[in-house]
Amino acid sequence: MIRVSFALLMVGLTAAQALAAESNKTLFPAVQPDAGTLTIYSTTDLAAIKPLIEDFQKSSPDVSIDYNEYLTNELNALASEACRKQEPLGDLLLSSSVDQLLKLANDGCAAAHTSPETLRVADWANWRDEVFGFTYEPAVFVYNRSKVPPAEVPRTHVELADLLRERLDYYRGRVGTYDIRLSGIGYLLAFNDARQTTTVFGRLLESMARASAVARCCTGEILEEVAKGNLYIGYNMLGSYAYDAAQRHPELGVVVPRDYTLVLSRGALIPKGAQRADLGARFLDYLLSERGQSVARTNAFYFTESGELPPGVDGPQNLKESGVAQPIRIGPALLAVQDRAQRQRFIEDWSQSLIELNSPAWTRE
Amino acid sequence: MRPEPLQHGPSLFGRLARRISFVLFIGAALLVTAAWYYAETAANKAYDRLLVGAALQMAESLSVEDGILTARLPTSAFELLGLADRDRIFYRVIDTHGQTLTGYDDLKTPTPLERAQDPLSVEEGVYKDEPVRIAHATRILADPAVSGRAYVIVAQTNEARLALTRELTLRATILVFIMSLLAFAGAMLAIRYALQPVEQLGTEVRGRDPHDLTPVTVDVPRELDPFVSSINHFMGRLNERVDLLQRFIADAAHQIRTPLTALTAQIDLLGTGKLDKAGRQHFNRVKERTSELSRLTNQLLSHAMVIHRADSVQQEPISLVDVARRAYRVAIPVTVDPDIVISFEAPDDRPFVLGDAVSLREAIVNVIDNALRHGTDQRLEVRVRATGTQAFVEVEDDGPGIPPESWEKATQRFATSKSHEGSSGLGFAIAQEVANAHGGTLSFRARDEKGFTVVLTLPLYKGVAK
Repeated sequence: MIRVSFALLMVGLTAAQALAAESNKTLFPAVQPDAGTLTIYSTTDLAAIKPLIEDFQKSSPDVSIDYNEYLTNELNALASEACRKQEPLGDLLLSSSVDQLLKLANDGCAAAHTSPETLRVADWANWRDEVFGFTYEPAVFVYNRSKVPPAEVPRTHVELADLLRERLDYYRGRVGTYDIRLSGIGYLLAFNDARQTTTVFGRLLESMARASAVARCCTGEILEEVAKGNLYIGYNMLGSYAYDAAQRHPELGVVVPRDYTLVLSRGALIPKGAQRADLGARFLDYLLSERGQSVARTNAFYFTESGELPPGVDGPQNLKESGVAQPIRIGPALLAVQDRAQRQRFIEDWSQSLIELNSPAWTRE
Repeated sequence: MRPEPLQHGPSLFGRLARRISFVLFIGAALLVTAAWYYAETAANKAYDRLLVGAALQMAESLSVEDGILTARLPTSAFELLGLADRDRIFYRVIDTHGQTLTGYDDLKTPTPLERAQDPLSVEEGVYKDEPVRIAHATRILADPAVSGRAYVIVAQTNEARLALTRELTLRATILVFIMSLLAFAGAMLAIRYALQPVEQLGTEVRGRDPHDLTPVTVDVPRELDPFVSSINHFMGRLNERVDLLQRFIADAAHQIRTPLTALTAQIDLLGTGKLDKAGRQHFNRVKERTSELSRLTNQLLSHAMVIHRADSVQQEPISLVDVARRAYRVAIPVTVDPDIVISFEAPDDRPFVLGDAVSLREAIVNVIDNALRHGTDQRLEVRVRATGTQAFVEVEDDGPGIPPESWEKATQRFATSKSHEGSSGLGFAIAQEVANAHGGTLSFRARDEKGFTVVLTLPLYKGVAK
């Protein structure tokens, strides 16, 4: 059924999206006789979630997990379509684009879940016991150490804007960021950037446009290109992925901005009427539990709300204490982000400044 | 003397308690309902302000850009609504042509917007099967390109309102409950207090001497006056009847005495000379019976006198020794068997008691007479003695005495185990009557090796004797 709706949906998607929308389906079979299959629809990279799933199966060896990975917007489209038809999508949705999850919950597509574990979740990361934030991920800058001289490494948003302005020719076409038309998380971060400081964001956007910034669908692609040296700087990358990449590619540098750092909490939601809502709740409880959090800290998402930054990351000692962190609150305010007129206009403005103004002539050159 | 419990109706206290608790319960229920109603109104008012505020903010954000109506919904409007942190939010912006600009296309106000008079409204409604509050705000646009009315509809689920209503109602309920408890406890105390005079009256009437038929003189609330005067009226009538009866007995005894004296004289005159043995026997029997009858008549008169005096004679301090000695002299006839050892023993300090000398003498005479007739074999001893608070007249004889199981019966009128011996049985009754009238008692001490004792106990007079 999902396949069918997905196929139908595909028709409406742009060619670019269609290319990227290939479902990444992975099955983690149960170690012991099967108690059932937990179907997760997620936007989290398989590499990041894998340690968590494997550890979960150590404590619940009777659960098979069917893990489906999508881009945030695709997942949102699938989930809202499924909710409209009242055919719940999987047993657990994990998305970094929490605004989309919140919209789903607001539309009545989520089932509430309370347990001792959910009580541990901070207020700002829990809405109606339906949407839970289970990670703490700052939006960071990444740069290639061999391409960006140490003196030029930007440590605030203003420094980045100024750097692109001053060394326009050097960085032309070498800065990468999310394509917010394709990536929900990119849109969420950009929108919150705009809310944070209108002027700085305007300047940054203008600088990036002039420097012909490259927009990509996903963090992974940009990180790879920065690591290779095709791109020099990546803007608004998810800290967890960036740090993971930096460990594999020593030439990657990670900077946590010192003026303000948006912090995203990856959201989890159990769809209303999910067939194995019990398994979904079990995995959710695991994610929120002490054990799950500690595995996430060491192997999956690296950053935590209370602890220090992981070693090798350039930034304030402790995100929370420095007051730099600006967590994106999981609450009704995100509905403003999801307002379709708002979204349309914001994306139009963004595209105009970044893509169109940055005329094709630059890139063809 | 304890009266048998009557057939009880529900107690006055119980009836009042039930009615008061019923009234309190109804009152509390009404108050809680009212509290719930007010709480709901208050919660609705509070959250309606947020709703209208958000709608106004959104309406304010509408602007015409390049001839097109655009909505830049402010995040603050959603944050305002987010103050009700668990409630779902639905909104819709409608442009001047009635087309949805953004938001939920199927969200409608219960009253169609075209008919809405006020630019602002808040109503109850249902959206997505959930009860919601729906507010709308109107923005009148007068731009050359876009003119007319644009609307913003904002709806919010009721969770926060319900939670606030519940909390307020719960607190009010706790207060009402505490107040009801206090009121109930207070009412119970008040009822107890108010019913105390009834209890007191009961105790007073119950604690009365059975022979006391004087009016009840307890202070009672006005409401009990009819009851008390009924009792007093009844007692008065009873008293009259008893007086009448006593007078009748006294009159009868007196009337009997005259012919009886004549009869005795006649019998004495009759002599026994001409009678044969059987006749003499009959004659003696008649003589015996006649003297018994005359004694009974005397006792009846004495009894009537004692009762009369108890009611009418002012008590005064008297020396118990003097009274007892006089009685002793009266009671021991000259013809007493000279073999019997008779003694009178008195302390030197001459104890005084408050009383009527005549009645007391009569009582002691009766006790001694009784002992002489039925008890004494060889010895009779009359003793007066006193302790700190009481004075005693003890009459001890060496006869068989009365077994303890018959003590109670012995003081009843005309009751004696030896009636065939010619007892009238009024002696102890008279003595006890007198003892009671003097606030004392008549009691028996079981037979020991010396003998059987009848004790008349009287309270010692503390004042100075004349």
